[in-house]
Parts: sequence; C-alpha cells; structure tokens
Amino acid sequence: MNKGLVSGLVLLTLGLISGLLLAVVNSFTAPVISENEKLIKYAAIEEFYTLADYDLTEITLTSGPVDTIFVLKDKTTGNVEAAVYSVKEYGYQSYVKMLIAIDKSNTVAGYKVVEQGETAGLGTQSVTHDFQMNGVTVPSLDSFDSISGSTITSNAVKACFSDVFSLVTQYGVGGSAQ
Amino acid sequence: MNQRENFLKGFVKENPLFISVLGTCPALATTTSVENAIGMGVAVFFVLVLSNMLVSLLMSSKALRELVKPVRIPVYIVIIATLVTIVEMVMHAYTYSLYQSLGVFIPLIVVNCIILGRAEAFASDHKVIDSAVDGMGMALGYTAALVAMALVREVLGKGTITFWGDAQLNLNFIYDFLHVQPLDMFTKPVGAFLTFGFLLAGMVAITTKKQNKEAKGVKQA
Repeated sequence: MNKGLVSGLVLLTLGLISGLLLAVVNSFTAPVISENEKLIKYAAIEEFYTLADYDLTEITLTSGPVDTIFVLKDKTTGNVEAAVYSVKEYGYQSYVKMLIAIDKSNTVAGYKVVEQGETAGLGTQSVTHDFQMNGVTVPSLDSFDSISGSTITSNAVKACFSDVFSLVTQYGVGGSAQ
Repeated sequence: MNQRENFLKGFVKENPLFISVLGTCPALATTTSVENAIGMGVAVFFVLVLSNMLVSLLMSSKALRELVKPVRIPVYIVIIATLVTIVEMVMHAYTYSLYQSLGVFIPLIVVNCIILGRAEAFASDHKVIDSAVDGMGMALGYTAALVAMALVREVLGKGTITFWGDAQLNLNFIYDFLHVQPLDMFTKPVGAFLTFGFLLAGMVAITTKKQNKEAKGVKQA
C-alpha cells in the first residue's frame, strides 16, 4: 500500500480517537463551565436576592440608559416579585454603571455601583457611599443624599435612579416597552 | 541508570528550566505568584506523565512503531494537544480563577518543548514505567524551578506568598519594619527576566563547581 496513504490513515485514526475522548470530557465539563459563567454574571444580583428561589427572565433593552432588566418571578405562581435594573449614566469622566433592585411593592430593595472610573478618592466614594435610597418608594428622589465634593458623580447616580423610576412608573416593576 | 536516578535527574542534573532552558516562556509569564507556578506545574505534570506513557506505549509495539515512525512528530503533537485540551477544560470548569490567571499559557503547553522533547528523546525508546518516572521527575523539577522563581518574585514584588486560594503568607511586616515598599518591578516582566537570569547563573555556578570537583576526583584516583 502507498506509504503516504498509510501515514494519513494513522493520523486520521489518532485524530478520531482524540476527538472522541475530547467530546466525552467536554460533555462532563461543559455544564459546569456554563454554570460558572452564569454565576459570575449574576453574582451582583445575588447581593439583593437569592436567585435559586426565583425564576429569572432577562429583558435586554436596545435604547435608553437601562440596558438589561432581570425580572425575578415566583417559582409557583409566576408573579413578578422583584426586578433588578442594570443602568448606566455618564458621570464626571466615565460611565457609572449601577444595579438597582425594585421590589413588587414599588420600593427600592437595594442598589450597587458595579462599574465606574471616576476621580480616585472623590468620585470613587460612590461605590461605598450610602445614598439614603434604601426602602424609598418610587418615584420619590427627595431623600437622595449626594456625596459632598463629587456633585457630578452623584448626579449620575441620581440620574440612574430617576431613569429606573421613570421606567417603573410607566410600565410597572419589571415591565418595559418591549 | 536505576529508577531513583531516573527520577532525580529532572531536579538538578537535567532540570528542564535551568539546565536545558526549555519552557522559558510560561516560566517568565506565570511566575507572578506561587499559586500560579504550582498550577502551571500541575498542568505540566499531568500532560508530561501521560504523554510520555502514551508515546512509549505506542512505540513499544513493533508493528505500530513502523506505522507511526514516518509521521511521529504530528502523532506526538496530536497526543499532547488532546491531553492539554482536557487539562484546559477541567481547569476552566473546576479552578476558574487559576484558569483566568494562567490564561493563554495553558493551551500553549502544547508547544512546550519540554513535553515534545521528552517524548522524542526519552519516551520513544524506553519502557512505559521508565518513561512515566522520567515524566514525573521532569515535571516536578520544572515545577520546583517555577516555584523558586515565583517565590523570589512574589516576596520581593508583593511581600506575600500565595500557596493556594486564601492560603497566603503575608510578609509585609518585614517591609514595614524596614520602612520600604515592596519592589513592584518584580511582578513585571523586568523582574521575571532578572530573577530568571540570576537563578540560571546560580544554577550554572553550582553545577560547574560540582563537575570540576568530580573531574578532580577522577584525576587523583
């Protein structure tokens, strides 16, 4: 038999065996990997709610400052229990990205600045600062407490809240135009 | 050569990193912390031992040897690549943070000269057991070299020793006592080259001295 053909067949067999082996390993690891990736994505939401207790639907908005709404529904009744809004507004020198959780009773259940590149020491306080918004009923922004010395960053945070509030007043908790 | 010598030669006499100077690319890039060095070492250990065993198994039967010989390098690469991909998938699934910090250097184990070199130079004409022992010795020697580099770099650069996850030894009190900052340079590529250079020089100095001593002993006898 042709020598080149034999070599080709040897490599082909080896390739098939390797491919089969990899497929087997992949079938074990792929679910774990996708589970991990989901966990990282939802780690921030876990700060407000235990995701395992709810049914999660993701609504992606194409326009406006709110880009994603994570709607948490009761597992048995299917009623909307809460919604977490991912929203961003431009601050002093960067986008301030926040997660704002609204309960079904129209109150703010929690908020967190997840991404920002503001001035170190001033604007960066936004990550830890208590804006006095927990438990506030939509759409009141009266209790909002700005950070002294970083008005523009605080305004971005405030704008994030008002964006979410306008969505909630217009479409209800977890609702959107889509 | 007995089994013990076969195993121990990977540590000093034929250390892949400091004597053969193979696999230097991941050695420079992944030794920023002891944890990364250990992770890299574990991955190399798995791949090297199994590839050595498989290659020697393949080459031990005469009929297969004749078939494989003309295309042996591609065959080795396919075997190694399969093993590396398995390691990569397992690491991605179970040790995510390590997977992220090692990054592109996991798939690059495929082209790590240590593994291909051992397959061609040792495993292809030795018994399965010998090849496995050789692989273990080489991989542990490589890991030891990586950990040595990482120790120097992490202590000088960050003042910590991270063994695994949260198991961390903080030595920053030494820097506080001396009123100096850790040398950030050592966590950067500059520090990698400097550390590698000095350790390599030290290793060469030691082995040369040893060789001279042995040569003298022979003369006197």
